[in-house]
Amino acid sequence: MEITDLDLARGAASGQEAAFEALVRRYQGTVRGVTRRLAPRPVEADDLAQAAFLTAWRKIGTYRGGSFKAWLCTIAYREFLQARRKQKPEVEFDEGAHVIAFDASAARMADHLDLDRALKTLPENQRICVVLCVAAGLSHAEVAGATGFPLGTVKSHVNRGVAALRKQLAPDNVA
Amino acid sequence: MMEHEERYEDLTALFEAQDEALQSEAFVTRVMTPINKRSRWRTPLLFGAGGIGIGAALSQISGVLDLLKSRTPELDITFDTVPAAEMSFDMQSIWIVAAVVIMVACAAIVATERA
Repeated sequence: MEITDLDLARGAASGQEAAFEALVRRYQGTVRGVTRRLAPRPVEADDLAQAAFLTAWRKIGTYRGGSFKAWLCTIAYREFLQARRKQKPEVEFDEGAHVIAFDASAARMADHLDLDRALKTLPENQRICVVLCVAAGLSHAEVAGATGFPLGTVKSHVNRGVAALRKQLAPDNVA
Repeated sequence: MMEHEERYEDLTALFEAQDEALQSEAFVTRVMTPINKRSRWRTPLLFGAGGIGIGAALSQISGVLDLLKSRTPELDITFDTVPAAEMSFDMQSIWIVAAVVIMVACAAIVATERA
């Protein structure tokens, strides 16, 4: 039987590094995925993901149950916001570098590229809501809690973002 | 939840495939290295510094008592009339209390940092 997130978090809170390492293994894909979709470049994205996990380690005592993924993604989103405040100009999205990290077949890589390209075209707040809700699997309420957007705004951003992604990923539109 | 999955499951599957491809042992090591390093030196350093501080404070107690005796002669009566056995027991108690104080203080620091 798999150990629950709450049990691992309690272990980590009591200083067990192995418990926290298990959580890192469990959620590294989700967190790195979120930061890669939000940050302009993969290198920065992994820095953000690392910073998010280190913050989670320091703050693990404040986790009181509920969705650990939502808790972690909220931290990752805040790390992204902090980093963005420090950065002055918007850096161009480096598509080529993004592709290198994916070890997948050419067909899957093409899918990833299409998805990345489609995500890039969304307005930022819409992209944030789609990334947290659709990609990371947070509920609308959890995304509202993480971003501070009103619940109705989150739903609206997600619906519009999903519609735009579907439209762009439709076979007729894929390059 | 079901509604959520039904509405986005096509896109979610694509995102999950990307996330799956991001699994990397190197990243786990990257995250855990500073945590492991910090834990290795932090506890002995914290408890060592706390112990030295408490020890230094305790070493000054006799001096403070002497000072108090000289300034307030009435206190002499109190200290001089304490039986010797009871006095030594109290000194042991002080060390026990000091040890407990060190441990509680360090635990409080750790707990505060985690919160």
